[in-house]
Amino acid sequence: MAELVLNNIKKSFGDIEVIKGVDLKVSHGEFMVFVGPSGCGKSTMLRMISGLESVTEGSIHIDGADVTHEAPSKRQLAMVFQSYALFPHMTVEQNIGFGLKLAKLPKKEIEEKVAEVARVLKITDLLPRTPRQLSGGQRQRVAIGRSIIRHPKIFLFDEPLSNLDAALRVQMRLEILRLHTRLKTTMVYVTHDQVEAMTLADRIVVFNHGKIEQSGPPIELYNHPANIFVAGFIGAPAMNLIATTLSTDKQGTYIDLDGLRLPFNLKANAVDKMSVTFGIRSEHLEVCTNDSPDFQAQVEIIEDLGSESLLYLQTNFSTEPLTVRVSPENDYRTGQKIGIQVDKSKMHIFDTETGRNMS
Amino acid sequence: MEKENRFWQIVFLSLPMAVFVILIIWPLTSSFYYSFTNWNGFNSDYQYVGFDNFIKILTDKLFYQAAINTSIWMVAAIFLPSLFGLVLALLIDSSVPGGSIFKSIFYLPICLSAVVVGQTWVWIYQPDWGLMNTVIGFIAQEKFNYAWLAKPDTALGSVILAWSWQQTGLSMVIYLAGLTSISEDLIEVCEIEGASTWQRIRLVIFPLLTPATVVVIALSVINSLKGFDILYIMTGGGPFNSSDTLAMHMYNESFKKYLMGYGSAISVVLFLIALTIIRIYFKQLKKVDEIYG
Repeated sequence: MAELVLNNIKKSFGDIEVIKGVDLKVSHGEFMVFVGPSGCGKSTMLRMISGLESVTEGSIHIDGADVTHEAPSKRQLAMVFQSYALFPHMTVEQNIGFGLKLAKLPKKEIEEKVAEVARVLKITDLLPRTPRQLSGGQRQRVAIGRSIIRHPKIFLFDEPLSNLDAALRVQMRLEILRLHTRLKTTMVYVTHDQVEAMTLADRIVVFNHGKIEQSGPPIELYNHPANIFVAGFIGAPAMNLIATTLSTDKQGTYIDLDGLRLPFNLKANAVDKMSVTFGIRSEHLEVCTNDSPDFQAQVEIIEDLGSESLLYLQTNFSTEPLTVRVSPENDYRTGQKIGIQVDKSKMHIFDTETGRNMS
Repeated sequence: MEKENRFWQIVFLSLPMAVFVILIIWPLTSSFYYSFTNWNGFNSDYQYVGFDNFIKILTDKLFYQAAINTSIWMVAAIFLPSLFGLVLALLIDSSVPGGSIFKSIFYLPICLSAVVVGQTWVWIYQPDWGLMNTVIGFIAQEKFNYAWLAKPDTALGSVILAWSWQQTGLSMVIYLAGLTSISEDLIEVCEIEGASTWQRIRLVIFPLLTPATVVVIALSVINSLKGFDILYIMTGGGPFNSSDTLAMHMYNESFKKYLMGYGSAISVVLFLIALTIIRIYFKQLKKVDEIYG
């Protein structure tokens, strides 16, 4: 277990600044997930923590000690790579025991420790095999085995499940969670998959353009996104975002969606006629069964996902279709006109210019 | 359509096949044929002598001398350029300043013909004014005069050095290609796990260069078996047959003593040796393939 502190980390490659000042504290035993689109700097951040990449400015502290300029091996970290990074010429046993062999531990001790790790990861049968003889999931388990054997202070995961198929990804996700529960080690996990981030993290950090957009527990990010980017990135399907203008009068602040007046109590100062983006999640729109819907829409596409269905609706006020979650037992048809009710307690208003959540 | 394709396949294949038959198959089978005769290379009135030539090989002291020299030549000619090539590749790969210039310089000798290389090294080894003795004399601060190629103790070794100088560039380039194919992640694992430079080379880089090593050794084996011209230029097999290899011995018997039948028998033995080595090599290649794909 260890505490990780990042102080104003900056990183430039030549003239291009890819990390633009990141401050973050990862507590003892916390499972922290870095998420963001490709090229947002999350992997670079992880590599700087590991020491594989140098830091241009700022400092990294592990358990209070400044490790900014320490060699990777001195930081007592373990890293699991997307490519698994297993040595093809070594057996599973040799791969797992690699770090211990480098540390010149007695052969007997290495064997015992490898056997113990293999038992935990349920890969005892695979020990004599070479990586080529393993499936993707098995390879990733071996890679995890190699990282846990040294009891590192912090685990770093660089998109470890990206090369696995969907079913295996879910299974490995659970195993990583179990591992975290069991070891209680601080973990920093990089992914571009927001479902992975939501399910694994104690806390998520959303990166974009080399900056932290928001950090917090998954559900907080989901319910209270700090800006349009987080709102659009966290959650599947993505939040419905509609460009509109804000109006203020004596009765208060509101937006007008083709005659539908939606009032807001905004925290931030609102200016009349300012450009805003209205956000609402798909589960907070409901197909209306009574005669007084908030607005009418036409069903464009129906996606049946088994446990639920998604309706993509065309409206008069949005160029992009709106997504609505409905029960899989429905009888909607493409082209059908339906009435929609908005959950007024779950609405978001973002300043279109700054992206900031005003609600 | 199928038939027409077949026709063109045969047409296009016939030319290279003809070249192959004329330049390889025909001389090869001729050698086999002449190895059972006492042909002198000129007259047509030669006789079939059965296994006489092969029996003669068994009692030919010069053949044994040549076989020992060939073994030394092959082991050194495989090992030294591979080792030098590996060391140079590792140095250049570690982003030494001016690496790409060094790469070109080290590769240059392979572009020269063995005759040019041989003659250059003859000058380098020249006892009175050659570079080798001049440098040694400069370091030792006294006049150094040693006839490297004229002394039985150093003749073969001197040619091996010249050969290695030429061949190193080839193995360096192959090793460099091998090094670039090693995944960066694996090297990073070494960094994180705390491998020293030597551990990294010994436990990871060198084993991962196995496919490159296989190619380097294959080319070295083939090139060293063919290694005739540089020996011919530099020592001609001498002095006192001290640098006589099987290929050189075969040449001397066939074209200097005009014993074409006997020379052919030596070439057949050399062919069988090469075949055995290549068979062993292919077996190993299969194993490497299973691990590295």
